[in-house]
Amino acid sequence: MSARAIRAVVATALVVGVAACSKPEFPAHEQYGNQPRLPAPKQFLFPPMGLATPIGWKANETPTVPQGFAIQGFARNLANPRSVLGLPNGDVLVVESGDPGLAPVLRPKDIVFGLTIGAVHGDTKPGNRVLLLRDTNGDGVADQRFVLADKLFSPFGIAVVDQTLYVAATDAILAYPFRTGDTRLGGPARVLAELPGGPIDHHWTKSLTASPDGAKLYVGVGSNSNIVENGLEAEKDRARIFEVDRQTGAMRPYATGLRNPNGLTFRPGTNDLWTVVNERDEIGNNLVPDYMTHVKPGAFYGWPWSWYGQHVDVRVKPERPDMVARATPPDYALGPHVAALGLAFANGGAFPARYQGGAFVGEHGSWDRTQLNGYQVAFVPFANGRPAGKPEAFVSGFLTKDEKSAHGRPVGLGFDARGALLVADDVGNTVWRVTAR
Amino acid sequence: MDSRPFRPRLTIGGVPVHAMLVPFPIVCFTGAMLTDIAYVNSPQVQWANFSQWLLAFGLGFAGLAAICGLVDWFGNRTTARPGSGWLHMVGNVVVLALALINNFVHSRDGWTGVVPTGITLSVLTVAIMVVTGFIGHRMAYVHQRAQVRA
Repeated sequence: MSARAIRAVVATALVVGVAACSKPEFPAHEQYGNQPRLPAPKQFLFPPMGLATPIGWKANETPTVPQGFAIQGFARNLANPRSVLGLPNGDVLVVESGDPGLAPVLRPKDIVFGLTIGAVHGDTKPGNRVLLLRDTNGDGVADQRFVLADKLFSPFGIAVVDQTLYVAATDAILAYPFRTGDTRLGGPARVLAELPGGPIDHHWTKSLTASPDGAKLYVGVGSNSNIVENGLEAEKDRARIFEVDRQTGAMRPYATGLRNPNGLTFRPGTNDLWTVVNERDEIGNNLVPDYMTHVKPGAFYGWPWSWYGQHVDVRVKPERPDMVARATPPDYALGPHVAALGLAFANGGAFPARYQGGAFVGEHGSWDRTQLNGYQVAFVPFANGRPAGKPEAFVSGFLTKDEKSAHGRPVGLGFDARGALLVADDVGNTVWRVTAR
Repeated sequence: MDSRPFRPRLTIGGVPVHAMLVPFPIVCFTGAMLTDIAYVNSPQVQWANFSQWLLAFGLGFAGLAAICGLVDWFGNRTTARPGSGWLHMVGNVVVLALALINNFVHSRDGWTGVVPTGITLSVLTVAIMVVTGFIGHRMAYVHQRAQVRA
């Protein structure tokens, strides 16, 4: 071991360390759309990190919306609302939920991340229940609250089909008898299908939607790690969307290689299932952009072996060139690390014509980026059934001006019976309601 | 000229605390090198996780051992300090620095937490430690002899 070799090692370490602190090397706005610029992956001594302290909303504060729209708190003082579902009679179902806490400390890093990233979700104890909110006087603020189901195991996805309420807890799809208009459930839960929950349950949110004909349910199951650092055996039946027969509960993989698919929803008037997917972390400020895509039945989208088609992730061993060769690129990049969790399409109702058929995306916001990204509801215009054009900030102002603190963070989206956009804000503990003036 | 011999300042029952602590980093860093090799040959994540814990505990105990060693060193007159002590000190500062960097490298998810930088640093750490450890033991031996002579 010569002194020169030591110097070389130390110099290399310093260069890597400085690189870890440098600003994103090109603007994130070049990473939208169907041909995003993808920089070369980097390895860090400490991954890029930017966090916003949760501070909540004061009673007179709201997020901001574009000219021609208005926003108000439909329901405040909730306990980590993450999903919303508007019912045909105007009632709104809200799922309050939190991390199941099944991930053991396997590495020293888990302790460090628990103290940093874990601290920016606020200190509200998650409700882990399904609420029914009712606005009896039509002023855009819910004045009645009913607890439909309580003490659930980290519920997230929700759907109502054929007098049945389906709730995707982190380990099972539950089915309750429920008629729209009722303020309580018609009976206890039946387990329709078991889902991969623990052990670990790294990405625990199980997004849920029903096919247009109501025959099938689709449920998203996120990966059990960032990039298989818990071993490939922990990824059995994960990073995919399952199709579930609503009568029998039989499941089959509908599409795979989707690291953390959320916001499952059918684009109105089509049989196209859409999802927003959270891509992998810790290889750069601008890698890998999260995306929105229509889901091709049977397709494989790359995780863990590659991203955006054939961009191989060298962190995964053993290599699988056969899987990389199969990988389908997604439709549309939303931007790096935005943490897209919600998706809703404007369909008739009160929004202006240019928004009709377009997608609204709930972006929970980044942690793996020196400059924060996301923390907004974005609007993506559509043409001919596919995204066309850049995403626009639609609901913003979730961060303070200095970007040090977050009033709230958007998650799930939905439209209510009167055509207003509902936004679940799990850090602000509010469901926001956006109306066209 | 003062000819008082080198005397460790931090001792328990006459045994230097530094000497009691140094086996921990030596075993931990050597173990991390071995689990790195096991990971590269498998690649099962449990070995990479082993390496991370060994590197973390090794670094913690190395820090404590370093503090005790420095107290002993600067708690003695310049004339009493053995000449090879400087080499021992500088070498172990390098070991400490490499182990610190190696902890960060190993915190990466997946293969690149170990290959190529992680395992390279693990081997370098052990290689330097062989030299510094030898010097350390030699000093202890010489120190003992001096004690006997005195």
